[in-house]
Formats: sequence, structure tokens, C-alpha cells
Amino acid sequence: MEIALIGNPNTGKTSLFNNLTGSYEYVGNWSGVTVEKKVGVFKNNIGHLIDLPGVYTLNPLSRDEGVVTSFFLNESVDRLLNILDASQLERNLNLTLQLLEYERPVLIGLNMIDVANKRGIQIDVSKFSSLLGVPVVPVVARSGKGCDKLVDVISTKSVEPAKKNLVYYGKEVEAAIISLSKEIEGKTEQSLRFLAIQYFEGNEQVKNYLHTITDSVTLSKIHSALEAELQNRYNSKSLSNFIYLKRKETIDKIVAEAAVKKSTVVPLSEKIDMIVTNKFLGIPIFLMFMYLLFMLTFDWVGTPLSDALDALLTGPVTGFFESALTTIHASAFIHALIIEGLVAGVGGVLVFVPQIFILFFFISLLEDSGYMARVALVMDRIMESVGLNGKAFIPMIIGFGCNVPGIMAARTIETPKERLLTILLTPLMSCSARLPVYALFVGAFFAGHRALIVLSLYVLGIVVALILAKIFSSTILKSETSLFVIELPPYRMPQFQSLWRSTWDKAKGFIRKAGTFIFAGSVFIWLLSYAGPGGLDVDMDHSFLAMIGGVIAPLLAPIGFGTWQAAASLITGFLAKESIIATMNIIYFVPNDSSLQGLLANYYTPLAAYSFMVFILLYIPCLATTATIYKETGSKKWTVFSVVYALFIAYVLSLIIYQGGKLFGLV
Amino acid sequence: MFTSFKAGEKGKIVDLSHVNHLVQRRLLDLGITEGTEVCVKCVMPFGGPIMIESCGQCIGIRRKEAVQMEVVKV
Repeated sequence: MEIALIGNPNTGKTSLFNNLTGSYEYVGNWSGVTVEKKVGVFKNNIGHLIDLPGVYTLNPLSRDEGVVTSFFLNESVDRLLNILDASQLERNLNLTLQLLEYERPVLIGLNMIDVANKRGIQIDVSKFSSLLGVPVVPVVARSGKGCDKLVDVISTKSVEPAKKNLVYYGKEVEAAIISLSKEIEGKTEQSLRFLAIQYFEGNEQVKNYLHTITDSVTLSKIHSALEAELQNRYNSKSLSNFIYLKRKETIDKIVAEAAVKKSTVVPLSEKIDMIVTNKFLGIPIFLMFMYLLFMLTFDWVGTPLSDALDALLTGPVTGFFESALTTIHASAFIHALIIEGLVAGVGGVLVFVPQIFILFFFISLLEDSGYMARVALVMDRIMESVGLNGKAFIPMIIGFGCNVPGIMAARTIETPKERLLTILLTPLMSCSARLPVYALFVGAFFAGHRALIVLSLYVLGIVVALILAKIFSSTILKSETSLFVIELPPYRMPQFQSLWRSTWDKAKGFIRKAGTFIFAGSVFIWLLSYAGPGGLDVDMDHSFLAMIGGVIAPLLAPIGFGTWQAAASLITGFLAKESIIATMNIIYFVPNDSSLQGLLANYYTPLAAYSFMVFILLYIPCLATTATIYKETGSKKWTVFSVVYALFIAYVLSLIIYQGGKLFGLV
Repeated sequence: MFTSFKAGEKGKIVDLSHVNHLVQRRLLDLGITEGTEVCVKCVMPFGGPIMIESCGQCIGIRRKEAVQMEVVKV
């Protein structure tokens, strides 16, 4: 059995999904965190649960919402599980009524009754259920209370809607629904009434769908005749507005009968808002939060943990491999491959796991608490001035963790141009894979100011993105329409369990990459460094790797690091940014990261090191990111553009920093 | 004029027809239409967005869109 989970954004849909399927899913709090179609298996194996993006209506505005409509048009589903926010019944019912018109079995999970009660709203569940003609089960999605009952009802009861045509749209519209239904009868498997009403509402996707199965002229004749009639008779603004008002009438009637409202008290959430979205304190508070994040990741907690892990890997772990290899009398080649290639390469990357976990933990905290939407609001003025909108800031912050989900999160931006711009600029956000490179270099050259130097790189990424946004939006990506309406969900105390889940969900990708990509890459790089035109086990300076790097090195000389080692590690950085560290560990074969830092001082000056970090920050989106850009834009042209402009900007900025720095006497 | 409202002041929406079509649609999705009562929660500096509340939900909209909304104080 296929069951689709659908509801408004921020109704606890993803929490409910987790509780029903027990799978490790991503739980968030800002509008549109579910960016992909996700399928889970029910805990008691009664079928599949499909998690759809949150929508307010089936008539889509953004691409995220389009996913839902196309799902309804093109795929078959056995049952719909509609989750409602009890504290926002009117708004949520607008979607429910459309779902009922779809004429598939519907079951309602009524969430956030506690919030509703606090606001003075009391709901009579059985009355509500009989008015809608479908089963209604109260749930607490966050704790999982009521989920057993929900599963019970899904699997046993027949949830065929008892009432048909809940909304009466007036005799003119009803007559037009019948005549349009006649046109498409027998040509589609979907509900005719649903298609007709959505068509009249101006749903573009339904319109395109209908045009593929029947004559478009006849349809638009019915539409305009109806609109004209309504205008004459009722002086209605538009057909879609007329339908909306009819639906609202029904909703008001249902709510009046099933819910009682009393006077309210100011919820805590609004008190917090007075501070964090305060006129003058909003941006400083956000910056403070980011500073705290960096201090925790790099100074207070992350670095000591990483150092401890480094000591463990280079000491006992390497020792273990050494003695194991000696015991089995491994050949010199295998010995070198494992110790100099794998342990140095993979181990050098694994050391940064604690810092990456801390970073992801804070990003999850931002999402789950509801602060993310506030950040979008606070940042909108700045973003608007460069031709973006505040919502673009969310993909960028997620991009700090990993650019791939960041780019996917851009789907919630309604206007195509702003979305494309956000996709192109998100790779400039310094993702966690670039973090090991910074950590290594700041440790070697800027030990006294770790957090500050790293923060400067993150800020540089943002500043470059904003400047480029301004340039792109006023040249190649001009757009007149910009849309910014954002829902600010109430603050929620994040639950440790769901925080841990989403942190683990994001960070495990990093560990998996270390086991696969970096593992294979390390072997390959080591082989290239071990072999040369002169045979195996050559001096590294005469290896294939040195030759390849040597070709590019002269180009890099003007920006401060014209060595073949730097060039070779930059090439591998395209596969994954953290493999830059793996490559360096192999090239400068050293037992651990701290001795690598000592060695680096012979090859870089502090100025060149900073220039190198800036280059790493900007130079190219990694392979996975490039693939995602291609998938999301569907355009080879824009994908190539995203790589080329990044390379160009990186080179120019590094050149300015290095040459400019030398002029000022820095070294 | 909506933008003359101070934080904490309440108003009733009279006319939305001058607002950008997409914004109108989105507001409608959130249940905000003519006749809805809204309360200004806070106003961002330098011409930034304003935060309004209606039926217990908070929504951020841009100042330039707010200017086009016709609202009377209640």
C-alpha cells in the first residue's frame, strides 16, 4: 500500500514521518526542508509512506510545490495522510478540501493540539471528523503520541470519504464543472471534479496536463464564459478568487461548528521575536551566534578533540598497522601503500570528523529551532539590494555544511531567476569539506588567531557571493519580479534525539566519503607519487604526480604557491575538497598533521598560505556539487558557467591578495 | 497607510488588489486576504521587511509590498 503524507509547511510532517517509519530522516523547521521525495516503510510493514514537500495549496508557485502537483497528476497513490496544524485550522483546511476533491481515501492526523489549547482553541475531534466525513486522529508528532492509533486506523478502517462534494461552488461553477468533466471523461484516471476545479483556479500544471488530453480551445471557452458570468452576476474579481471564497465559506462553517475559541495570551515565541528580530539587534545577534559557532568548532571544543583523534591515529593505530604488516611479512610495496597511502590519506581526513560534527550540529540547531526563518527575514534587506531575497540566505547557510543540500534547498525560492542565482552562488559558501584545509593551514601559520582567520574566509565567501549576485542580477540574470513572503514558524525547543538524527544524517556523508572517495583517491594519488617514468619507488620529485603538477605550477606562481605539490593537490580537490589534505599527507609523507604543519612552513609563507586558502575557498565546486548544479538547473551552459566563473574569481582574488600583500610588505 | 503603523498596532486589510500578484497569492495561501485583521509585530531598519501577525501566525513581507496594502487601523 502506498500512502502519501501531505500537509502545510511547518506542521510537523517530517517528525510524523520519522515516528511512523522509524527511519533516519531529516527534520527541519523552516518552510520547505523536505526538498526531495522521500519514501519510508511503516514500522509494522503495512506499506510505504511517501513524504511530500509542505504545500499550502495544490496550485503551485515554487518548484518545490510543483513536485506535489505533478505527483498528484502522474502517480497513483492508495491513501492520503493529511497532517493538520490544529492551531491554524482555517489555513490548513484549504488544502484538506482540495485533497478531498481528489477523491482518494483521506485520513487526517491532527497535530499541535497542545499549541491550539494554549491559544485558547478547543477542538471537538469527533464532530470535526463527522463534518469532513473522514477519520481524524489527534497526534503529537514530536513525541510520537497517537501514532499507533494512526497506523491502526490506516491499516484497518476503510477511509473512503463519506461525504462527496463538501464544497458547493454555486450553480454556475457546478454547471461548468459538469460540462468540463464531459470533455475529459474517459481520458484520465484522476478525479474529474478535482481537475475541473483546479483548472478553473488557474493551476498551470493541471492546465498543461489537460491540454495534453483534450482540446485547449474548448476548455478555455468554458473558463472564460464562466468567469464572465460570475463577474456579471456577482461582480466577482476573478474565478480563482470566487472559488477561494466559496471554500472559505465552507471552512468557516466547519471551524465554527467544531472549534471553540477563547481569548488568548501572548505565547513565548513572540517575546523572543521582540529580541532576535529587533530593529537594531537582529544582525548583531546573528553575527554573535555565528562567531560562537566558529569558536566552538575551532577553538573551544573542536580542535582539542581533533588533536586527540590525530594522536590516536598516528600513534596506536599506525603502530597497529605497522606491527600487523610486519607479522604477515608484507612486501615493501604493500607496506608503503598502506602506511604512506591509506593511513596518511584517509586518516588525515578522518581527523576532522569532530569539527564537522560540531558544525553540522549547529546547523541542525538553527533549522530545528525556527531561527532560520528569522535569519531570512533579518537578511532580506541586504539580499534585496543585491537582487536576491532573504530566502536565498537559507541555502547559503546550509551550504556551510555541504553545498549539495544547500543547492537543493534553493527550490523553495519561488522566482526562477532568483533561484538560479542562488544555485550559482551557493558553492561560494565554505562547506565543511574545505574546513580541514583551513584547520591545517591556520594551525601552521596563524595559530594565535585560528577562529578569526577562518571566520574571515567564511565572511569573504559571503561577501564575494553578494557582490557577484549584484553583478549577475544586473547583467545576465535580470528579473523584474521578486517575491518575498515568509512564514515565521513558532520557536520550538529542539529535541536532542531529532537534533542528533539530523546531525548524524548529514555528517555520515563525510565519513562515507572518507571510506570510498578518499580511500580510492588516496590509493591512486599514492600510486602516481610512487611510480614515475623511471619505474616504481622513484624519488617523489620524479614521479608522475610531480610531472602533472609541474605543468600547472607555473600558472600558480603569481598567486604564491607555484609548487607541483600545490598544483597536484588542487587537481584532486575537484573530486572532494578534503582530498587536498589527503594528497598533501601523501606527498609530504609525514606521520601526522602536526608534523605536516611544520613542514609546510618550508613551502609557504603566511601570505601565500592565506592566498592558498582563499583559492581553495573559491576555486571550483566539487564533483558532487557540479553534478547537483547540473541536475537542478538542467542546463549544461549554467553548469559550465558555475565552474568557470569560480575559477576566474578565485585566481583574481588570490592574485590581489598575494601581490597586494607583498606590496604592503607582508610575507 | 500600512507602513505608518508602529509595532504593536492592529489593522484590518481593506484592499490588496495593488499588491504584486504572486505576493497576493502567497498571502492568500497563508489565509491573509481582504477583511483579515493583522498586527504589526516589528519593523526592520533601513527599509527592511516588516513582520505581521494574523491568527497567531507570523509572516514577514517586504516594505514595498506593505506600502501597496490598504489597511485601516482598528
